[in-house]
Amino acid sequence: MKPKIAILRTDGTNCDEELFYAFEKAGGSSEMVHVNQLIHKEKDLKNYQILSLPGGFSYGDDILSGKILANELRHRLKSQLDAFIAEKKLMIGICNGFQTLVRMGYLPWNMKPAEEVSLIFNDSGHFECRWIKVRVAHSKCVFSRGLENKIFDMPVAHGEGKFVVKNKAVGQKIIDNNHTVFQYVDDGGKITMKYPENPNGSFHSIAGVTDESGHILGIMPHPERNTLKHHHPNWRSQSVRLCNSIFENAITYFK
Amino acid sequence: MIYRIEVTPHVPTFIDGDGEYILSEILGLGIQTIKKVRVVKIFKLEGNLSKIELQTIIDEVLVESFWQDYAVHTSVLPSKNAQTVEIARKPGVMDTEIESLLKAISDLGIKEIKMAGTGKKYIFTGKLSPKQLTFITEKILMNKIVDRVVTKKEKTLIVGSKRTPTQTIQIRAMNNEDLMKLSHDKLWLNSEEMREIQGYFKKERRDPTDVEVEILAQTWSEHCCHKTFNAELIIDGVKKSSLMSRLKKATKILDKKWCLSVFKDNAGVIELDRDFGISGKVETHNSPSAIEPYGGAMTGSGGVFRDIMGCGLGSKVIMSTDMFCVGVPDLKAEDVPDGCIHPKKLLKEVVRGVRDYGNRMGIPTNNGSVHFHKDYRAKPSIIVGAYGIIPKKQVNKKALRAGDAVITIGGKTGRDGIHGVTFASGSMTANTENTSSSAVQIGNAIEEKRMFDAILVCRDKGLLRFAQDCGGGGYSSAIGEIAEKIGVDIHLDRIPLKYPGLASWEIWISESQERMVIVVAPKDIDQVIQICKNFNVDARVLGEITNTKRLKLFYKDKLECDLEMNFLHDGCPITEKNGTYVPNLFEEPLFAEPKNYNFILKKLLASWDVCSKEPIVRQYDHEVQGTSVLKPFTGPDADVPNDAAVIAPHLGKKTGMAVSHGMFPVFNRIDPYWGAAGAIDEAVRNMVAVGVNPSKIALIDNFIWPTPEERELGDLDRAVDACVDMSLTLKMPFVSGKDSLSSTYNAADGTVIKIPPTLCISAFAPVKNVDHTISADFKGVGNAIYIIGKTKPELGGSAYYALKNKVGNSVPHYDAIKTLKNYKKIYQAIQKKLIISAHDCSEGGIAVALTEMCFGNVSARIDTARIPYEGEMRPDQLLFSESHGRIIVEVPKGFVKEFEKHMESVDCSAIGTVTKESMVRISYKNIKLIESSVIELKRAWKKPMKEVFS
Repeated sequence: MKPKIAILRTDGTNCDEELFYAFEKAGGSSEMVHVNQLIHKEKDLKNYQILSLPGGFSYGDDILSGKILANELRHRLKSQLDAFIAEKKLMIGICNGFQTLVRMGYLPWNMKPAEEVSLIFNDSGHFECRWIKVRVAHSKCVFSRGLENKIFDMPVAHGEGKFVVKNKAVGQKIIDNNHTVFQYVDDGGKITMKYPENPNGSFHSIAGVTDESGHILGIMPHPERNTLKHHHPNWRSQSVRLCNSIFENAITYFK
Repeated sequence: MIYRIEVTPHVPTFIDGDGEYILSEILGLGIQTIKKVRVVKIFKLEGNLSKIELQTIIDEVLVESFWQDYAVHTSVLPSKNAQTVEIARKPGVMDTEIESLLKAISDLGIKEIKMAGTGKKYIFTGKLSPKQLTFITEKILMNKIVDRVVTKKEKTLIVGSKRTPTQTIQIRAMNNEDLMKLSHDKLWLNSEEMREIQGYFKKERRDPTDVEVEILAQTWSEHCCHKTFNAELIIDGVKKSSLMSRLKKATKILDKKWCLSVFKDNAGVIELDRDFGISGKVETHNSPSAIEPYGGAMTGSGGVFRDIMGCGLGSKVIMSTDMFCVGVPDLKAEDVPDGCIHPKKLLKEVVRGVRDYGNRMGIPTNNGSVHFHKDYRAKPSIIVGAYGIIPKKQVNKKALRAGDAVITIGGKTGRDGIHGVTFASGSMTANTENTSSSAVQIGNAIEEKRMFDAILVCRDKGLLRFAQDCGGGGYSSAIGEIAEKIGVDIHLDRIPLKYPGLASWEIWISESQERMVIVVAPKDIDQVIQICKNFNVDARVLGEITNTKRLKLFYKDKLECDLEMNFLHDGCPITEKNGTYVPNLFEEPLFAEPKNYNFILKKLLASWDVCSKEPIVRQYDHEVQGTSVLKPFTGPDADVPNDAAVIAPHLGKKTGMAVSHGMFPVFNRIDPYWGAAGAIDEAVRNMVAVGVNPSKIALIDNFIWPTPEERELGDLDRAVDACVDMSLTLKMPFVSGKDSLSSTYNAADGTVIKIPPTLCISAFAPVKNVDHTISADFKGVGNAIYIIGKTKPELGGSAYYALKNKVGNSVPHYDAIKTLKNYKKIYQAIQKKLIISAHDCSEGGIAVALTEMCFGNVSARIDTARIPYEGEMRPDQLLFSESHGRIIVEVPKGFVKEFEKHMESVDCSAIGTVTKESMVRISYKNIKLIESSVIELKRAWKKPMKEVFS
């Protein structure tokens, strides 16, 4: 049976359709699930193998990006979510979804909301939409299995994507325990802090991190927007590595 | 009590981005004495909290303590030796964070908070005179229209007032003077219209309520009933049919089978593929944007998205466009007219507005432009477009039946946006900033997004009989139009309000954003309300459709309005209007051929109209929905500008649609006929250049004109004639359009500023297979470069003349028949892959178009002498003329023969080759004219906007 993916929606979710498509194309069975349906028990997380938090501006990104949704999930669905994680199912948060996972305290390890890491305003000071390159680091992450050192093109579209850490020790722990999954690189494939290749000034050029189990991935750029030949700006003049393998890895995990 | 929490980033470990931005803006104003600016966010909570509850709210919601500092009731930062200003929204003005704050606190299980508020405190270190502080406060920190300076603690955050009861207006007893007094500054109707209203109530043998009078003023406003466009005209003594009827007639004559809905709904609809249609609509939001550009642009976007959602039984919005005409960003501060905003600030604010609305809605913004002219310094033209996808079987709204339920869905109603349409219909004065504040508002994109989510579910379940946007004129316009032919009873007291105290007439004509009206069969009411509830959307039944042919409004069962639909919609006396066409004469400049072409090219690239708009484009999410297949920029550095946007809305399928636009305000000043024809050609050639089939293109018009007096009307008439002529010749129908005819500014000292007549033509079309679309960047070394279309000595209104501060009279003309033939050949050549890149020649002519194609870091070598031309032309004229109908193309080296054979009967000439040395080399025979490195040219082209947006 195809693994079932819950594409979590709420007020202001807006990258749900491309994410829905990415998982379907990878061989999964996607379903739109509204937070209210989980809260009112019309749908149950038990019936899904993957929970995905798409990008967008949940609740307008008021106060801080993803904050209101994170707070809602923490206080109204905590037990369902903890049970989901305990069953070693997978979770992915892209862009606003990543911000939400961090503000729930799920990434890169269990903590209070954004207690030791956070995603804050880009150094550039503004929202920015452009294609960038990321390289896959060595980690436990299920989504990036077998992709180590590969370079992917994908678009970023965010204003609050700078990954920051509380102090050196926290940063060191992230590096030492291989929580880093994706890093921004320049044209030559080298990890970079330079704008705009690194669009936000993230610590350690981090574009994506995983938790201690490797089952939860948070990523700022949008791999779900590079799953078709026509997605890349220069598909007319160059060959492109699509990001489908990231989603296929998640599907394969359940086979 | 009110709890006050201050929050700010922990500096210097983390950056105070807001503070740094404000500091750079202050430096930009020329005030150098400020050393540092800090910005503190303020949250205010009204209610009773225990100590633990307050701490929970802080820890869980308000503060991330490792990178933010906070303080409760005290200052988080020392403000000794510093000056501070605190800004908050005016009571009742949209502050989306309040709702979110209340939700988050309720999710924590804390029930004792009644209301919330937000604000910002600015702390300045350095020397500032009180005058400077006021200047900074008013120009940078706030907009007086929507914000206030907080000087003392609020006693309560709850907004509300006592309701003014509905009043009777003794209109029957009024003399002419009384009538005009009633009209002035409130109804904005002329004496004839006022007398018509008086006559109606004399016949009805009663006096109207204030509700009825306000409804008539709204329905009869220029903005809503388009008096100029619908009037019979006398131009230079000759009777002509109305502008609107001419445009509609042309579309009718063309009778295209692929036009699914034209001029009758909120948007025009054409065929996309077997099962779907594309809806298109372009709107303007000039008046609100002139005084509150952020809110104006936001609500402009919100409005045009609702037009698409309110098209048929609901179209899903899949794309947005933005075209701005503003004053030059380097305008001297003293040249900013009274009551107006500096163009640089205005531009940044409208960009921020479009960004914040479109991005939050998840609608890609992937086509647009900015035009600069000093005469937009008082009144800008802010144009926003939207496109949607709709199943063919949902294109037509259903016939309404008595008993059908009228439901309001989405946002609540407040006092914001009252008299918006009447305000938009009047000329702007220096006083507009103060008197029309309620006409302006801030949008809430999230409210609109969840409303759209809910409506689409209702639509797909077949529950909707009618969907209508609540835009200008509010419920009055929306429900008035829905029930125009049948009748309706509405209960005003059922309308959800933002705060108590609104009078009946205020409720009915308020233009509060993010509201729509749907009509459903009585049996489906419960299901619709439940679906909305699932999406956190408010939906309420307001009343029902009747067979009375009357508009009846009740407040708590008391009848407060009882108007005949006939009189309301057809009673406005539309009089004949007189126009005169007086040609403008601008002297044709005479000057010697330039010695330094490199210098001229660089200056052209750095001119406001030509320079790269990338810093704007990057702020818009053009990738969301995963549909973009031709981006605003392509090439190895993603900075070669493309001519049109192409999206593939069904993920995984190759069916696509393309969108472009054209506009030439300066050409219109010289001759509105050729300016309009040129705008149409620009829109069309942009489409052809990316591979669109020219026999499938639909057009949308937006006329933005100075307030039409005789001469302006003569100009307008000529522009409309051009639209009709071109539409018929090119066989491209207009399917939707809008006019906004009030862009004149009257200063107190008698100065009058009229914008250049502005016509924006938007084009949209289906694309059968997106594989066969192309981009503008040169692809391969050794490939041949051709130009199609003849170059003529047409430099009037050109960017080249503008460098010399001249306009000139030789405006480009347009041979539509010949050009269309060329375009069809180009389309076929792209399908056969004989052309692999193309770019249209527009501002700056061949030189600029060719240079932009080289920004893909390859180069070109061309010989000007090989450009096909007419008349006598010097090399500079060949390079910089802005003749229409020209496209530069790249042909792969192996296909040159086949290409030439295909283009045999067309004006087409090989002008050069793609080379690899990263240089632009243009010669005239053996004489070198231009030899510049691509990097250097690119730098000049990118610099101006980078500086505006740095």
